[in-house]
Amino acid sequence: MTRVEIRELKKSFNSVQVVKGVSLEVEDGSFTALLGPTGAGKTTILKCIAGAERPDEGEILFDGEVVNDVPPWKRNVALFFQTYALYPHMSVYDNISYPLREHKVRREEMEVRVRRVAEKLRIAYLLDRKDPSTLSGGEMQRVALARTLVREPRVFLLDEPISNLDAKLREEMRLEFKRIQRELKQTIIYATPDFVEAFSLAQKVAVIRDGKIVQYDTPSNLMRRPKDKFVATFIGAPTINILRGRLKREGGRLILLCGGISLHVGNEGGYTSRIEEGQEVEVGFRPQSVTLQPSGGDNVLGARILSAEFMGHETILTLDIGPSEIRAVVKGVARYSYGDEVRIGIERDAFLLFDAEKGEVLR
Amino acid sequence: MTSNNRGRRRPKRLLKSLAIYSATTVAVVFFMFPIFWLIATAFKTRAQAFSTPPLFVWEPTFRNFIDIFLKRQTEIEAITGQEIELATGAELFFYNSFIVTLSSILIATFIGTLAAYSFSRYRPLGTNTMMFFILSTRMLPAIVVAIPIYFFYRAVGLYNTYPGLIMLYVMFNLPFAVWMMKSFFDEIPRDIEQAALVDGSTPWRVFYKVAIPQVYVGLGATIGFLTINIWNEFLFALLLTERSTRTIPVMIAGTRGEVGINWGLIAAIETLYVLPALVLIFILQRYLLRGMTFGTVRGAK
Repeated sequence: MTRVEIRELKKSFNSVQVVKGVSLEVEDGSFTALLGPTGAGKTTILKCIAGAERPDEGEILFDGEVVNDVPPWKRNVALFFQTYALYPHMSVYDNISYPLREHKVRREEMEVRVRRVAEKLRIAYLLDRKDPSTLSGGEMQRVALARTLVREPRVFLLDEPISNLDAKLREEMRLEFKRIQRELKQTIIYATPDFVEAFSLAQKVAVIRDGKIVQYDTPSNLMRRPKDKFVATFIGAPTINILRGRLKREGGRLILLCGGISLHVGNEGGYTSRIEEGQEVEVGFRPQSVTLQPSGGDNVLGARILSAEFMGHETILTLDIGPSEIRAVVKGVARYSYGDEVRIGIERDAFLLFDAEKGEVLR
Repeated sequence: MTSNNRGRRRPKRLLKSLAIYSATTVAVVFFMFPIFWLIATAFKTRAQAFSTPPLFVWEPTFRNFIDIFLKRQTEIEAITGQEIELATGAELFFYNSFIVTLSSILIATFIGTLAAYSFSRYRPLGTNTMMFFILSTRMLPAIVVAIPIYFFYRAVGLYNTYPGLIMLYVMFNLPFAVWMMKSFFDEIPRDIEQAALVDGSTPWRVFYKVAIPQVYVGLGATIGFLTINIWNEFLFALLLTERSTRTIPVMIAGTRGEVGINWGLIAAIETLYVLPALVLIFILQRYLLRGMTFGTVRGAK
């Protein structure tokens, strides 16, 4: 139950700057995700909040108080390590109870809490195991998670905590995290490279790239109004389709000319930034906004099927539309095979325009 | 086809392992023979020790061992009727060796481990320079500093004292302890200690509850290495001690018989002398065999 604030955080390892000025505010009792590819600096940010690493520059505040000089053992923060960091010389029980012992929790209470969290994570049968290196990857991850969740800290910092679990347990853990946040009013900061995980859990998501926060917003805003091409391509599955071409004005309408096809990508009035005739841009549209065999509408094109992957509830099609390959998602089973000719339509409102050089969204 | 292949491969593999085992046996015999001969000689009388061809089967005598610690009636005595004090006084020298070795190892390992941990984890300014500097103290041969140290020790009253010898051994062995322990600390992932810090342990507790248990193997190796170094040290022990602080290696070098060199007696002393080191290395070896993989749960950066 702590409000966490980071101001201009910078951190280097051996002259490589990993975090390059990150500022972030996490409201008391909220669930925030740090979303970004590996090497973006998520782990380092979490370690700085926990105090395991010392920031080179910048401040970390808990409830408005600078904690830079508060040592980690006094910060009362629980951190789940991506590498698990189990104590290799201790039994599973001792691993999980370690933080409680260090915080001088009474023995009886400790046993109850360890057992409760172990049962929740279905590792009660492992408690007597002597050597954690004999556990499987998923078991290690659950033991490490138990060691984190057994605590009652000011903030939970979770660094890819469920990456190695099977789908069912992952789903349960997501519910458990939400329950912790809702019922215990805990502040949770959660690092993950998986946008589905981030979106399903967090109220706000900070998209991180190369040691900087690109965009910090709610999941729906990130989806609808990504700040740049990186955010747009990093979230959403399958990945957003990107086409490159030149813009042409046609009576208030903006037309993208791209290798022999022309697409109506919006109306001039909808953009506040200057759009110039002949400007080179990239447009993005989500595979979900492609309709198959439309009965009229915008942007009807001919396409050839390259592949169809049935995903259970939907089918992902890879299509050749001439200048480029695109992906489309259609509901249910789509019975197509390689080489079939189809017609597709792309909704006019679905397009995002990016500056061809900088990748910034044009609005 | 497969079974046929395997059938042909089996004798080949057998031959290969036979070759490996015989080579190993030859090597072991070659290196162990001096030790065997030493121990054998300790159980022989003078005549047996010098017999040609060498005796491989004989009736063992414990006389040499008794002679180490007890006054004995010698051949000369028997002839002349004179009683000569010939007990070697070995118990004092063994005691000295134990005191000096144990104290030096304890101090060097303690300081060395702390220094290594600090260098490995906190990397104080100039760590590399300091690590090099520490090692550089061992770069010139010991004999070069022997004379200055002798005069220095004489002057400050450390000559012929336990602290003097212990300090010297600690100084000479600290570089090894620091370098060895640092390499072991460097190998264990930092995340585990960071986890302990975040879990509420102070750095001291992290050091002895989390870091040290992960380098038990290294600690064993370091102690074993220092034991060999210190227990066997001869030059400075010879230079800086007199009878009251003399250690076993010096004593062995000075042991003579009444008629020529009493090889049986020397072999007996040497047998007792190598025994503690052998036992210790044997115990530590079991530690080393626990495997270098111990402690790595999942490789961190």
